[in-house]
Order: sequence, then structure tokens, then C-alpha cells
Amino acid sequence: MPTIAFTHHLQRHAPAHTVAVDANSVAAALNLVFAAYPALRGYVMDEHSHLRRHVAVFVNGAMLRRGDVLSNPIPPDAEIYVMQALSGG
Amino acid sequence: MSVCELPDFSDESLLRYSRHILLPEVGIEGQQAIGAAHVLVVGMGGLGSPVAMYLAAAGVGRMTICDDDTVELTNLQRQIAHHQADLGRLKVESAAAEIARLNPEVQVEALARRVSDEPLQALVAAADVVVDCCDNFPTRHALNAACARMAKPLVSGAAVRFDGQLSVFDLRHAESPCYHCLFPDDGGEANDGPCATFGVFAPLVGIIGSMQAAEALKLLAGIGESPVGRLLTLDARSMQWRSLKFKRDPDCPVCLQRP
Repeated sequence: MPTIAFTHHLQRHAPAHTVAVDANSVAAALNLVFAAYPALRGYVMDEHSHLRRHVAVFVNGAMLRRGDVLSNPIPPDAEIYVMQALSGG
Repeated sequence: MSVCELPDFSDESLLRYSRHILLPEVGIEGQQAIGAAHVLVVGMGGLGSPVAMYLAAAGVGRMTICDDDTVELTNLQRQIAHHQADLGRLKVESAAAEIARLNPEVQVEALARRVSDEPLQALVAAADVVVDCCDNFPTRHALNAACARMAKPLVSGAAVRFDGQLSVFDLRHAESPCYHCLFPDDGGEANDGPCATFGVFAPLVGIIGSMQAAEALKLLAGIGESPVGRLLTLDARSMQWRSLKFKRDPDCPVCLQRP
């Protein structure tokens, strides 16, 4: 089953550890997590249900094209990692 | 060519840089390249401090350092180029003095302003490598755009709380993605929380800044591989690194401006 994990910076509103998700796309996986952590949605998605531009999703360690990442099918062993840009210096 | 025939190195310089020159990956040629180089470092805070100090110690010939801030007491927990006696002083002046103490051979141009638009293009054009140590997204995107237009390598680092990020955008090469390919400009929407809000673990900026200095020196001396198309992320709580791959976005508007 696919798993999903969030960068520590988002874990105030997301699972603190990797969780298994019965999903066949990143969108389906995110929606399962949003159902349990409603506040997370606004940090990851914009008002048009697009991925926020400073957020990136990696599947098995590789970033998929931004326009495809939510809807493309993912393999059963997919490891989804959701992270965001940092600006601090 | 033997060491004795090299006109660019005094005996003192040969001794100063001997531990670099002994490395086969650096050698005389690599150290000469470092000494002939001009590096632009944007931001003289937590990341910029170790970057400037390591580049100076390693013998980078010329550095342009930019920051419009003054040294505050809250900076001294992690911004190691600045000292108690520097409170209230411009960070670029404080850092320039520290660089001179480390290595008086380094030429430093200190710019006490935020870089933007045309001056930034000229600054980037004059540099061999640009190191992004700033603390805001607009400057990160402006630096990326200037580096893309001028086909210059950009070493990018960021750190907040216990989380660090590092990547190299080698915009001399067509296949290299840029910062916008990874995180498109959102017009100022992004907010990861400044250090003043969330804090930052003091050695984290040392870790990420030291890696930025390493990547800059590698680029200058032509050593090894840079993490191009890879974003390295550090969770310093567990000291766990991730290496995440990404590619050039064919629809990236910044890359469309590349030569």
C-alpha cells in the first residue's frame, strides 16, 4: 500500500509519522489525510485545489511534473513525500 | 609545472593553502582557480556567515557580499561572522572585517543594500558563482532569474527551525533545472515562517552554510559532482537527510529566458 509523509515543517497540521494510504493517486492520498487533518488542506492546496507553488510532492524520491502530480496513477509501493520551500537564511 | 615555477603563489600562500593543494582533486590548478574567482554572496546572516568565512579561509580571490541589515543581539546566537562589539554595525561591514581577520588576501566588496533588478544583473554577471544565503522568497526568485539570464551557477541554501535545504542550480548547463522549476514563484504567497517567529537551531545554519561553501568551492575548482537536480533536505532533530530528484520544467518561464 502507498505511504505518505510530510516535512516536519507541516507536521503541526499533519501526521507526525509516515502513514499508509489506500489510494491510487496523490490526490486520493492527500484527500484521505485531509479528512483526518482538515487544517492541512489550506497549507498544501490553494483555493482552486491546485498544489501551492511553494509546496512540492515527490513520489519515490522524484518530483513529478506539477500539472500531473495529483492525478497521475501511483504504484502500490509509492512513497509520497510532501514538503515546502524554506526561505530562512 | 612544478610548484616552484608557479608565479601566482608566494611561499606564504603555498603554505597557507598547502592542505588544499595536497588534495589531488584540488592541487595547484584548483587552488589557482579558487584564488582567481569572484563569488557573490547574498545575505550575511546565519548562512552567509559560514559561507563567507570558509570561502575566505579557502582563498577565494574576490567576494561581493550583500545585506542591508545591521547586527542585532538576536543574531549572535548563530551568525558567527558577527561579534558582541559589532552590535548596531552593518552586517556587511562586520563580515568584511571578519573576512580580513581570516585572510587579508581576499578582496571584499561590501554592499549594504537589498539587491534587485538591474544592479542584481550586473552583480551576477561579474561573479563566477552566486551563493544564495538570503532570508526571503522574492530575493531567492530574483537571484534565480538573474542567474538563469546570465548562465551562472547558483548555490542555494535555506534553514528554519531544525529543517535545512540545499541545492545547486548550475545554469551554465541547459539540462539543469532552476529554482523556479522546483518552487514556482507564487507572487509572495509563500510563508515558511521567519526565524524571528519559529526560531532556528544555531548549528543548523552552520551545517547548511558550510555545505554551500563546499559546493561553491567544488564549482570553482571543478571537483566532483554538484547536487544539480537534487534537493537535499535535512531534519536536524534526527539528523536525517533526504535526496530528492527534480528535473527542468519545460514550461518554466524563467528557463525560457535562458540563453
